[in-house]
Amino acid sequence: MAIAASLLKKLVQIPIFQGLTVPEAAELFEVSSEASVSRGDELFAEGDEGDSLLVILEGEVLITKRGIELARLGQHSVLGEMSLVASGDARSATATAQSDVRFLKVPTKRVQKLLKANSLAALKVFANLAQVLSRRLALINDKFVDSKGKKREELADFGKILNRWAF
Amino acid sequence: MYLEPYVRRTMTSAEAAAHYFTKAARIMDVGERIETLLATPVREVKVQVSIELDNGEIRTFEGYRVQHDNSRGPMKGGLRYHPSVNNDEILGLASLMTWKTAIVNLPFGGAKGGIRVDPTTLSVKELERLTRKFVDQIHDLIGPTRDIPGPDMSTNPQVMAWVMDQYSRYHGHSPAVVTGKPLELYGSRGRETATARGLLYICREILRDVQLPMKGTRFAIQGFGNVGSHTARLFHEDGGLIVAVCDVHGGVHNPRGLDVPGLFEHVKKTGSVKGFGGGNSVTCDEVLAADCDVLVPAAIGGSIDRRTAATVRARIVLEGANGPSTPEADEELEKRDILVVPDILANAGGVTVSYFEWVQNLQHVSWEEERVNNELQRVMKEAYEKVSQISRSRRLPLRTSAYVLAIGRVGKATVLRGI
Repeated sequence: MAIAASLLKKLVQIPIFQGLTVPEAAELFEVSSEASVSRGDELFAEGDEGDSLLVILEGEVLITKRGIELARLGQHSVLGEMSLVASGDARSATATAQSDVRFLKVPTKRVQKLLKANSLAALKVFANLAQVLSRRLALINDKFVDSKGKKREELADFGKILNRWAF
Repeated sequence: MYLEPYVRRTMTSAEAAAHYFTKAARIMDVGERIETLLATPVREVKVQVSIELDNGEIRTFEGYRVQHDNSRGPMKGGLRYHPSVNNDEILGLASLMTWKTAIVNLPFGGAKGGIRVDPTTLSVKELERLTRKFVDQIHDLIGPTRDIPGPDMSTNPQVMAWVMDQYSRYHGHSPAVVTGKPLELYGSRGRETATARGLLYICREILRDVQLPMKGTRFAIQGFGNVGSHTARLFHEDGGLIVAVCDVHGGVHNPRGLDVPGLFEHVKKTGSVKGFGGGNSVTCDEVLAADCDVLVPAAIGGSIDRRTAATVRARIVLEGANGPSTPEADEELEKRDILVVPDILANAGGVTVSYFEWVQNLQHVSWEEERVNNELQRVMKEAYEKVSQISRSRRLPLRTSAYVLAIGRVGKATVLRGI
């Protein structure tokens, strides 16, 4: 599917596609397809086979894992990018449309095929992906430390319970 | 279907204590991790206690000391010599001590220990060697500021004297390492009658609340050991009518009130209340079902079970023994609107006077009995007021309220000290 140059210009501003020239982006998105789902529908569910990367063109998507909210993604956010490095692995979370959602779907196989062909576009995407994932890992590390810190709150919470009982 | 009632009826007092603790912790909604924190003991120790018998044979016994919680102070709890002693039982009883010392607001934590032995098979010399060997094995873990043992099943002031002496060989003169010692060796006046006297002070408060005068109130007492006999005497002296008593051999009942001094004479002569002429001969189950105002179970644990609970005619059950009502009986009594004054509050007079003994030992003084009794009354009264206040404001039974108070006090100390 041919993508309008105006859209391509926007897409290359998304972190994972940063540094791509418009022709490189056109090469990457050449076989992408546009799709849409209605509010409440799942774009994919945890455990599904991860075969594509999605770019939200319009609408909002909620990412959850075992019922716990992980993120809310809006226009020009990318989801399913982990399938690029772990092709065929199960989706690690569920994506649910919070509104009517329009999105672009890039088959993982396409990106990997380009990579094998030493496509500069694919290399740039993978370099970006490494950066995105490492930033996310740093964030998770922070959250992990924060959640460890909550143990101290647990004792304080107990103190609050005891105060409520007013001994 | 067959097994369950049997299993339930044999729930030990330690298991019952864990059951009541969990119930209170859930009502307070302290959360699973705090519940685990409070339930887990600080230290559990099992030691080898080997002695040479009088005939030269070697016997090896298992000794235990479980230290449950020390957030409120040095740990305190009895030492029992019994064939049923095992780690689970000692652990349950150690936690019971944590809650009990917290309810009467003593600056103590909870512990328990014992030796798995039938002491009736040993001579006095063998018992002494056994006690001293046990102290050899645990002297590093106990101490006046660490863990203070006291008497329990089959251990008496003499055993406590041996504990003091053996510990002092390692650490220098240390009377405050153990309580329940003989009066001649740093014991406290009023220690022997402390549990019964504590029951009396609690009973006075209860009777005031339900607007019954002590004079003429009818008591049935199950058990005539240290607690039961002193309870009969003290309650009688306070104007109560003792209408029924029993011990392991049998019982006696008189609806107009037993002649208590005469009963003591009879026990002195025969060793039992059975056959006392001042009333009708009855069984212990009949004593539990006697027409009276207050029933005082002061014998073994579990004597009021689901079956006997249905026969109780008293308005109030004052638990002198540890764990006399099974959890099922407790529910049944509650359903029938019978007021149960729980063991953990009612019989805390014993450990309270043990605390006084420790205080006297640390200060190298000896209190008059009147001072011991006055202080005991103040402690018991305060504990009862606190528990009954929680009971009224939260609409909870006294037992649950007592555990709530205990968890609250231990919890506050834990939070303030930090983990």
